[in-house]
Amino acid sequence: MTIAAESVRPHHTLWGDAWIRLRRNKLAVTGGVLILLIALIAIIYPFFSKYDFASQDLNAILQSPSSEHLLGTDELGRDVLTRLIYGARTSLMVGIFTQLIVLAIGLPLGAFSGATGGRTDNFIMRFVDVIYAFPDLLLIILLRSILGGSIYMIFLAIGLVNWVGVARLVRGQILSLKQRDFVTAARVLGGSGGYITTRHLLPNSLGPVIVTVTFNIPRAIFTEAALSYIGIGVQPPTPSWGAMIRDGYNVIFAAPHLVLFPAIAIGIIMLSFTFLGDGLRDALDPRLRR
Amino acid sequence: MTRYIINRVFWLIIVLLVVSFITFSLMHLVPGGPWDKEKTLAPQVVDALNKKYGLDKPFYAQFGDFIWGILHGDLGVSYSFQDRSVTSIILQGLPKTATLGVIAFILAILIGIPFGMAAALKQNSIVDYLSVIFSTIFASIPGFVLGILLIIIFSVELHWLPTGGWGSIQQIIMPAFALATLPAAFIARITRASTLEVLRQDYVRTAQAMGIKQRTILVRHILRNALIPVVTMAGPELAFLISGSFIIENLFSIPGIGRMFVNGVFARDYGLIMGSVIFYGFVIAGLNLVVDILYAVIDPRIRYD
Amino acid sequence: MVKKILILFFSLLIITSLVVMPACSSAPTGPQVLTVNIAGEPSQIDPNRASWSTERTVIMQVFEGLLGFNQDLTLRAIGATEIPTIDNGGISADGKTYTFNLNQDVTWSDGTKVTANDYVYSIKRLFDPDLAAEYTSFYFGIVGGEAYYSAIDQDAATKAQLKDAVGVRAVDQYTLEIKLDAARPTFLQLMALWPSYPLRQDIISQYGDTWTEPPHYIGNGPFLMTEWVHSDHITLVKNPNYWGDKAKLDTLTLNMITDANALFAAYQNNEVDIAGVPAGTESTVMADPVLGLEILRYAELTTFAFQFNVDAAPFTNKNLRKALNAAIDRESFINNIRGGVGQAAYSWIPPGMPGYDATLGADYHFDVTKAQAFLTAAGYNNGSEVGELRLQYADTGINPTIAQFVQQQVKVNLNIDVVLEPMERKAFTQAVNAEQYTWAWYGWGADYPDPDNWLPQLFGTDAGNNHTNYSNPAFDALCTQALAELDNTVRLQLWADAQAMVVDDAPVLFMQYRERFVVVKPHVKGLKYTGMDGDVPGDMFFANVWIEN
Repeated sequence: MTIAAESVRPHHTLWGDAWIRLRRNKLAVTGGVLILLIALIAIIYPFFSKYDFASQDLNAILQSPSSEHLLGTDELGRDVLTRLIYGARTSLMVGIFTQLIVLAIGLPLGAFSGATGGRTDNFIMRFVDVIYAFPDLLLIILLRSILGGSIYMIFLAIGLVNWVGVARLVRGQILSLKQRDFVTAARVLGGSGGYITTRHLLPNSLGPVIVTVTFNIPRAIFTEAALSYIGIGVQPPTPSWGAMIRDGYNVIFAAPHLVLFPAIAIGIIMLSFTFLGDGLRDALDPRLRR
Repeated sequence: MTRYIINRVFWLIIVLLVVSFITFSLMHLVPGGPWDKEKTLAPQVVDALNKKYGLDKPFYAQFGDFIWGILHGDLGVSYSFQDRSVTSIILQGLPKTATLGVIAFILAILIGIPFGMAAALKQNSIVDYLSVIFSTIFASIPGFVLGILLIIIFSVELHWLPTGGWGSIQQIIMPAFALATLPAAFIARITRASTLEVLRQDYVRTAQAMGIKQRTILVRHILRNALIPVVTMAGPELAFLISGSFIIENLFSIPGIGRMFVNGVFARDYGLIMGSVIFYGFVIAGLNLVVDILYAVIDPRIRYD
Repeated sequence: MVKKILILFFSLLIITSLVVMPACSSAPTGPQVLTVNIAGEPSQIDPNRASWSTERTVIMQVFEGLLGFNQDLTLRAIGATEIPTIDNGGISADGKTYTFNLNQDVTWSDGTKVTANDYVYSIKRLFDPDLAAEYTSFYFGIVGGEAYYSAIDQDAATKAQLKDAVGVRAVDQYTLEIKLDAARPTFLQLMALWPSYPLRQDIISQYGDTWTEPPHYIGNGPFLMTEWVHSDHITLVKNPNYWGDKAKLDTLTLNMITDANALFAAYQNNEVDIAGVPAGTESTVMADPVLGLEILRYAELTTFAFQFNVDAAPFTNKNLRKALNAAIDRESFINNIRGGVGQAAYSWIPPGMPGYDATLGADYHFDVTKAQAFLTAAGYNNGSEVGELRLQYADTGINPTIAQFVQQQVKVNLNIDVVLEPMERKAFTQAVNAEQYTWAWYGWGADYPDPDNWLPQLFGTDAGNNHTNYSNPAFDALCTQALAELDNTVRLQLWADAQAMVVDDAPVLFMQYRERFVVVKPHVKGLKYTGMDGDVPGDMFFANVWIEN
């Protein structure tokens, strides 16, 4: 690996190269396309649907899938397919925005902590310990009562609690990378601390971070389901996959398909993000660059 | 190293103090108090209860009382289980939660690491895809749904296992499995990623070029280095598991502390909340300390001075 | 490859879910063992302090009071030889002094006699401010009770003085006298509730807070507690020294499963003998060839409603409240969504209680034209002029379903937009208690079966449980009169008039009377449920239950 060559390269090629390599990865492309497709359907489907996500048909509750309702109806006689597609909006937003918050706090803080070391590192890590030890449920209930059942409450609640994992991960990676030869070399060559962190340490530690984040997206969708289950979820009648699973869980002995379909949807999203995340990780790996 | 540990223990105490203060403040900020019942209590009753539990005192005095109790090894009294001390509630619930958590953790490690390793060593093969798919499947079913599916299959349909409770091995199987799936999937993914990372390192390639046996490389270089991020994530994962999962404990009727704590929050049981937070904080921060020390053991390049 | 495995997995999932509704084999339970489920770990099981059904279920097996209820909720004498009346001299002519003659056969489970002093001790303890018992306010009518209970900040000597002044005394070993500040026709019902059960001073002073753990938990009822595994289960066994007809069961186990689906599964796996059916699953159970035969349905004395904050615009408008009452198709809710479980409510006091009147609330039967007429009378030409209504509820159970149903009904039938505001349960309770809400879902269950538990506390001006802020001087006057009226016929008429006033003023949107829907294993015989049973049907009469193998 040629460190000298890397440090004279223009900045944009790191991402440019990654993009080229990502496109060559079939699974990653499939994952990405699936996510875009789901997002696209979620946006345009409502214009074509003959059902509204909130309109109830009390004479047709808890129906099994039929030609009339492809995925059946729920406890208020609403079309499950329509709600599932609407729910994709909520759930994708929950997944993505919470992880943006997690990254926005965890990445810089973890990197700074690991790269700086010493007292600063110790202080930041003890702060992270505080957040870790903290009873997040209390914070979520407080946020819930201030912000109400809006979707933003869910973003904040999950994001503010989960960034510590990423922060610790990044810091661990950077602590380990700091001792590596190429970093020492860069330092000897006169690279500044900030330069080394952003150009060498951070990109090299992104692999596990991306895996964690792609994993956390469905986890966030779950957390939303769990919050619904314990009674602090989003505001109805707006559907979310989490809330649909909770509602379906309540009647699992009567209508198991109500749990099944959102679970499958989460599975597909999860698989897509996993493939995309793996592809991204490979694409961003500086050692794979040619 | 000794100095480092002493330093960290000092910080542990600071962290616990800060956490308990923030929790205490949050607790009083969250709307609803322990005596807000669906049938409104008479004002005289509320006065008597406040007096009994010291809630008639100002905020700082209440916090002072709490710290004073902690210093005397007393975690206080529970408001929702009024004849039991928080210490006894935690001591009764902890062994159950911890046993379940440790079993689930071992299960997660036993499933996760081999799967992740195999997937990385045979990247883009069937083994790899299978591992991805299985981890995805198990990670895409929320705990309470997976739990009730297990109950329906193994208790309701087959009558093989009891639906819940505590005391026998049969009662642990389903909750441990339900609890282990998500961490197992997660550990598999992390292991796969970090193994791939290590496989590309120069020293592994050098070793391979030098013709050192694959097995030796695997054990001496790959396993050791690949496990660093796994250990980072496994620590909190373990802490998470032994602090208890409300959903799993609730579904499988396990008398553990996870269920107690969440119910305590919903009941605004200030005594139980504060006691659990101090305890939980101690466990988490303590485990993180252990993880950091393990780091130094696994990766000799990391030094604490 | 990937695809194949995916297909395989999903078909597996589908198969699993298709076989979800099982046929359950009824393996015989052991001889004379009944296992039921209480809703969770009891807060405590001290009769004086207990306030909730979970605790009540335990206490009622181990303790008995002077009086109790029959299955039709009329009173019966248990620890007393007869129910005091003015005619038999048990109640003084002014209705203020009650004398109970104790049944001299009644013993504690350790063999000692239950005496009047055990009652005196218990009732005085009920008012102890340091004990801070929650149900005590029901008993504030007893002379000196409220004064003692309120003496929180007084010194020990003053408290002791006030304690002595409480109007309860043992005339002799088997005669108990209780004095009230004013005549209270429903006082005897209070003496049938658990806070007034006798207690053992020697045990409680000796063991303090741990007296409720076995083997110190000594009672006078048909069962004994032998085991309390916290948050897991409580084991009760037959009290061999019980003074009356001994329990037919040898063992009664109380499990503590909290998840409704898990409980239903435990029932199907023969782990419990009685279980509630998860809401929404009722129709499936009715159609099931096995479970369908094990159903037990009974009306519970509970009314569900949406209370309006009548001080918060636009709910200040009586005709708007009436319009909303007429715009909800409750029958459709019960028949279509709830599978026929429950009864539509158009008034406040539920059927099965003295004071229920089926003719009340005729204006509130679902009728869009009538609803529109009320809306016009309220001053709105169209529902859209009303503006958004905000509806709050605790985000648990099937509350979201009920709220969404009402939202849709109000929109479709009146063209009024409703915004749903689900809240965390304590935050919700606090908002309602502090009257910081606009329109909230709630329910009221009977503490004792009499209208005086249903009207003054909820609709009297500034009453403790009046969170609608409803205030009607004419109603208040009727309540004052009825609370002290000793002639039962006159009294019930006064309550009927009072309820009619409330129904007409519509401070709440009456929704439904509760119906319990449970399954009971066929080998459970002799179960006698009442309208006051909570999660455990039949818990007042478990001594009569037997198992037929």
